[in-house]
Amino acid sequence: MDPQLTEVTQLFGRFKASFIRNDFGTCTNLLSQLKVLLTKFPSLPPSFQQTPNAVEELTIARDIYEHAVVLSVKTEDQDAFERDFFQLKPYYTDTCGIILPSLQEYPILGLNLLRLLVQNRIAEFHTELELLPSSALENPCIKHAVELEQSFMEGAYNRVLSARQTVPHETYVYFMDLLAKTVRDEIAGCSEKAYDYLSINDAKKILMFSSDQELSEYITEEQPEWEIKDHCVFFQKAKESQPCKEIPSLQLINQTLSYARELERIV
Amino acid sequence: MTQDVEMTEPQAAPLAAAASSNSASSATASSALQHLKEIAALIGNGAYAKEVRRIVRAVRLTMLLRRKLRAPAVAAFLTFALPPGSEAQSRLSSYLPKEDEHEMDVDMATSAGQVPFKNSLPELEIYCYLLVVIFLIDQKRYNEAKACSSASIARLKNMNRRTVDVLASRLYFYYSYSYELTNSLAEIRGPLLALHRMATLRRDELGQETLLNLLLRNYLHYNLYDQAEKLRSKAPRFEAHSNQQFCRYLFYLGKIRTIQLEYTDAKESLLQAARKAPAGAWGFRIQCNKWAVIVRLLLGEIPEKTVFMQKGMKKALTPYFELTNAVRIGDLELFRTVAEKFAGTFSSDRTNNLIVRLRHNVIRTGLRNISISYSRVSLSDIARKLRLDSDNPVADAESIVAKAIRDGAIDATIDHANGWMVSKETGDVYSTNEPQIAFNSRIAFCLNMHNDAVRALRFPPNSHKEKESAEKRRERQQQEQELAKHIEEDDDDEF
Repeated sequence: MDPQLTEVTQLFGRFKASFIRNDFGTCTNLLSQLKVLLTKFPSLPPSFQQTPNAVEELTIARDIYEHAVVLSVKTEDQDAFERDFFQLKPYYTDTCGIILPSLQEYPILGLNLLRLLVQNRIAEFHTELELLPSSALENPCIKHAVELEQSFMEGAYNRVLSARQTVPHETYVYFMDLLAKTVRDEIAGCSEKAYDYLSINDAKKILMFSSDQELSEYITEEQPEWEIKDHCVFFQKAKESQPCKEIPSLQLINQTLSYARELERIV
Repeated sequence: MTQDVEMTEPQAAPLAAAASSNSASSATASSALQHLKEIAALIGNGAYAKEVRRIVRAVRLTMLLRRKLRAPAVAAFLTFALPPGSEAQSRLSSYLPKEDEHEMDVDMATSAGQVPFKNSLPELEIYCYLLVVIFLIDQKRYNEAKACSSASIARLKNMNRRTVDVLASRLYFYYSYSYELTNSLAEIRGPLLALHRMATLRRDELGQETLLNLLLRNYLHYNLYDQAEKLRSKAPRFEAHSNQQFCRYLFYLGKIRTIQLEYTDAKESLLQAARKAPAGAWGFRIQCNKWAVIVRLLLGEIPEKTVFMQKGMKKALTPYFELTNAVRIGDLELFRTVAEKFAGTFSSDRTNNLIVRLRHNVIRTGLRNISISYSRVSLSDIARKLRLDSDNPVADAESIVAKAIRDGAIDATIDHANGWMVSKETGDVYSTNEPQIAFNSRIAFCLNMHNDAVRALRFPPNSHKEKESAEKRRERQQQEQELAKHIEEDDDDEF
């Protein structure tokens, strides 16, 4: 066996051990060492050289990056998640036929979809979705994310929140919690436009706060233009399209003059 | 162009009989050969005079001749056009089936009688490659077409002549097409990128245009929208040289934008592509229309019925017509049945995911209908009318209505305490400045259009030499005719 491969395997064994112990500090250190070692394998993307150890190298590299993605979720680091996911992606798209598909593939792809949803990157969400074969949409992990997106677009926020109870994988909980925050902001935005006012109790229920204290904190921090009066929250609505009393004379004069000038040029 | 058609038409009759009798087949072969020789002469002229236009015409003529091509004619043409014993000649001939001795003799005699292209032109060599690739594709010998086109691409890399560009761009197209037919498009992504780079360095704009489209097609074939958009946004753009390529570009652009939820831009590109496409390109226009219908539905527009009733497209667009109907009525149940009924069509059109997105629009339309009909309606009624089937329909309805209000789909407020949605009176638009603004933007559009049109007027650079060039053209045409006659006479001598 190739000495480099042995080294990586041993290091990865230690990584997995501390991963199970939830010792994330050690994990992160070992992971950076592993990533450096992986750069020495010629068979990995993007070069894809046909070396005798290609299959083993690709399999272990994919395994490492899959763990890296899960680790980044556990350490709640979204940037690291994005980086690791993009390093992992070529293994899913370009290695068919060389190594067997991974069992972790759909959970991780679903996790990525969820991340894009949380970050409100809907265009990228759909771009990723197009890459999946129609059979993948039946997978519970993918289906979960797709249904979430639909409810989210419709505005059925209750369904989004109740989906937290039916997460297909434990790692999804982190993003679901983040999603709750995104949903609250969305609800706040909608309520502002849809209601003239809400009683404090109703507002609390709609915005999912457990105490008046939390609600008023949220309002002072995020929505300073809202007003609390007589146990009610008043939303300051911009008065749109008021009947026009004044004629915008200067603007009209300018427009008419420019029409005259243009007509002059044509005739 | 009319002249071209006339030239080929008389040969249509022998073609019908070609399959049955041997003599007829050799007659077709020789007439096809004769046409090929005319085309070769045209290319030769184009190459010497450095006139790209004639080469374009030669390619067009070849397309008319395409269905009449038979192995003996192509083989004979190769011996005629390429210097004997050259690398290209031996390689290309190997793709063609060996014919019996008798016909070989005739061919040899034909080439012996003619000595016009002793020192072979590169244009002619590339043309021979193109001809053989087209022939192989038409004969459904895709793997050989793949090998042949790859060889031609390798040859093209060492050629830097502007007169080759037209032929090269056609070759690129068939190169990619042969790989698509064998379902191995992913293999040539690297080579295509290299070719695109080469075309850019050589300022071969037609080649760039073609290759960019081929690359986009390549990416979209595998649904790699991200890569396609990255390439598209960074590739150099210039005024389109070929209408067909521009249409394709618009279609791909429309697809990318649809996926990335930029519906307004997508609609513009798709409709433009459908309008600009040549009338004969049915398949392409149907595809454009399908996508355009979905995009318009996603935008909340309802396409007119005439879109679906266009001649020749009615049947293909039926699933999309029924879908539109469901969205127009705002009936979730009907929408679901239509989506299920035509699931096969939608998945083969790869519009499945877009249809899923439409569900949200169906709800919106239904909601809008409700909001127009009632001035005040309870949320539970809304939930029932929209057929929201969930555990807590009223709460769902409330948040859906709230979102619709925020997005500006309906103009209403919610009374939470009573559980009502109260529609607002629509105010008089004419009491605001809105009409004034709309009027101004339309005038500005018209004036801009006029100015652009004036700016786009082009005058021929040497219009004062008009007379001379007309004379020249006449002279040239005469020469061409003479040459054609010459070839014809020669052929008559053979029989």
